Amino acid sequence: MKKFFSIFAALFLVLGILAACGNEEKTEGTPKDTSKEPAQEEPEGKVTIQFWHSLGGVNGEYLDAMIKRFNESQDKVEVVGTFQGTYDETSTKLQQAISANTAPDIAMIERAYVQMFAEAEVLEDLKPYFKDSDVKESDFVKGLMGHSTFNKKLVSLPLNRSTPILHVNKTMLDEAGLEVPKTWDELKEVANKLVVKEGNEVKRYGLTMPYDTWYPIAMISQSKGKFFNDKKTSVDFVKNGIGKDVFQYLKDMQNTGALFYPPQTDSGNIVNQMFSSGKVAMMFQSTGSIGGIAQQATFDYETAFLPKNDVYATPTGGGNVAMLASSEHKKAAWQFMNFMMSDPQGLQQFIVESGYLPFTKKMAESKPIQDLWAKEPNRKTAYEQLEYATDTNKDTAWPEVMHEFFAAIEAIMYDNADIDKSLDTFTKETERILGQ
Amino acid sequence: MKKHNNIWLTVDTVLKVVILLAFIFPFLWMISTSLQTLEETMKFPPTILPEVPQWLNFVDAMTSGPFATYARNSLIVTISVIIIQLLVMIPAAYAFAKYEFFGKNVLFALVLIAFMIPGQLTFIPIYLMMADWGLIKTLLPQILPFMSNAFGIFLLRQYFMQIPEEIIEAARLDNANEFKIMWKIMVPMSKPALATVALFSFVSHWNDYFWPLVMTDSNEVRPLTLGISMLRETEGISNWHIIMAGNVVLVVPILIVYLFCSKQIVRAFVYSGIK
Repeated sequence: MKKFFSIFAALFLVLGILAACGNEEKTEGTPKDTSKEPAQEEPEGKVTIQFWHSLGGVNGEYLDAMIKRFNESQDKVEVVGTFQGTYDETSTKLQQAISANTAPDIAMIERAYVQMFAEAEVLEDLKPYFKDSDVKESDFVKGLMGHSTFNKKLVSLPLNRSTPILHVNKTMLDEAGLEVPKTWDELKEVANKLVVKEGNEVKRYGLTMPYDTWYPIAMISQSKGKFFNDKKTSVDFVKNGIGKDVFQYLKDMQNTGALFYPPQTDSGNIVNQMFSSGKVAMMFQSTGSIGGIAQQATFDYETAFLPKNDVYATPTGGGNVAMLASSEHKKAAWQFMNFMMSDPQGLQQFIVESGYLPFTKKMAESKPIQDLWAKEPNRKTAYEQLEYATDTNKDTAWPEVMHEFFAAIEAIMYDNADIDKSLDTFTKETERILGQ
Repeated sequence: MKKHNNIWLTVDTVLKVVILLAFIFPFLWMISTSLQTLEETMKFPPTILPEVPQWLNFVDAMTSGPFATYARNSLIVTISVIIIQLLVMIPAAYAFAKYEFFGKNVLFALVLIAFMIPGQLTFIPIYLMMADWGLIKTLLPQILPFMSNAFGIFLLRQYFMQIPEEIIEAARLDNANEFKIMWKIMVPMSKPALATVALFSFVSHWNDYFWPLVMTDSNEVRPLTLGISMLRETEGISNWHIIMAGNVVLVVPILIVYLFCSKQIVRAFVYSGIK
């Protein structure tokens, strides 16, 4: 009897596996899959290029539309764009896929992660490809190429780039008879004057910014500081006192109610909504938000350069695009990248729709972009600010250091921890990471 | 005395309503947001009842990607996982509960260990293995690792152990084979446990975001959870009304299954005569 039973148990197991296999056949039977598989094996047929990106929502739809325009413009290459989650998730998936040999041909990589992949030598050097291309390396806006070269190799090109910028509720400033601030001192004064309090409760704040490393880094650069020292052995901005100045400035404003520092989760959305609904007069936020706010705002909405301390400066952000060295269809992959960079129907159109920054001079001078700027001068300000773009947090260890920097920001901004002590701890941790 | 009772009844009711509200509020909030316009979602104070219900939000959400494919994948994965798990769990739990065999305790300890290892530990080797087998473009990486459910085996075994030996003995005397005993006696008598395990399994696989995110890299094999996360903006203002419409669609099957299962649980309690 027991034997009988064990046979049954075994049968169940086999059945289970069979059931699973049955499902596999179903999925493989979908027309999309069958049409794609053989194409990769036959070089004469249509070549399929896998393109991983991090754009969801409306921007994802704009990007899909661009991919479609490319696929319809010729019949040799078929690009399949796939959303892989946030920048961080895409980057993690890419690491995993590279080691499993399932990596795509082209991938969007958040600019700060490019160095890490480049050091692992998994990104193709794009320099040779510029020979047969409609775009020159010198066409690209310099401020956005900071993360593109690694060890003299050109490992990535800009795709959806943005910078922080000052968003201003001009109506509020006008009502109070105030000018848009150009320096830190002016910013502090204006922000404080715009605060509306009822008893102890702040009803309206002067300034806000998302919980991110971007904004303190911008302020470090504005004070002529650098994030890492030149030898990349430590941070630069702590020992010379710049870090203390930056955070003291923020803390002073936070204490008077002039600065609203948002909770961590979803801070970007929170500050956007507060700004759009008139709960705060000014905001440091990505240029990527201009389109959404313009749609929402019922007031006179303007953008301006981030105020300067010693100098104007802004870090850059957003995604770059890179070709994987493991790609088996590099020529076809470049054909698509060339289309993105140079064709008016490529990223130029995507940028007009999405509001990211134009990154070649040709794009900036093109009629669609000029028309857009005439209609929405706020976007032009963002492009003009690129003159002051500088990135000083470039290092392969940045993703790891970033977490430590977040911890320091958290301690100072939320827990009122001592600024010097927090930055010292941060420096020590960074030195440990960089020393590895 | 009666007055005293009334007070307690009021306190009891109020507490229940408070707890109920705490649980149901996020759901109502989600449904309300899913029917608002973007402007309305950002209003303060927020509107609870949408001014004009925006049913088109659902169309917007469902047409922003291949949602039919996502839904099909979610269904195939979840249902096959539950069926396979039940087929594996029932005999395993029966053996662990009612048989004495060599190495039983060691084997059961192994099951418990499997139960304690989090997926976050094993996903990289499993991904590499699946990639090596060329299965990444299929649904199998979402099904194969979940063929067995250690928690389910554990729960079912505990339940089977409560079923009196006499019932099984009586069936054996009547010449019922082991398969029949399992299928006609153990399974009907443990419907509450089975329903619980199936419900847990359904919810965790239907809602799973992490595992499919890791195991898939093309839209053809992705489930609904990943499709809905695509509705979020990477930068800029997220369209919360569309995202919530997507979430409502995601939650509805769980509610249906739950309603069905809870009925099952109650009926089984009455039927089996076990307290």
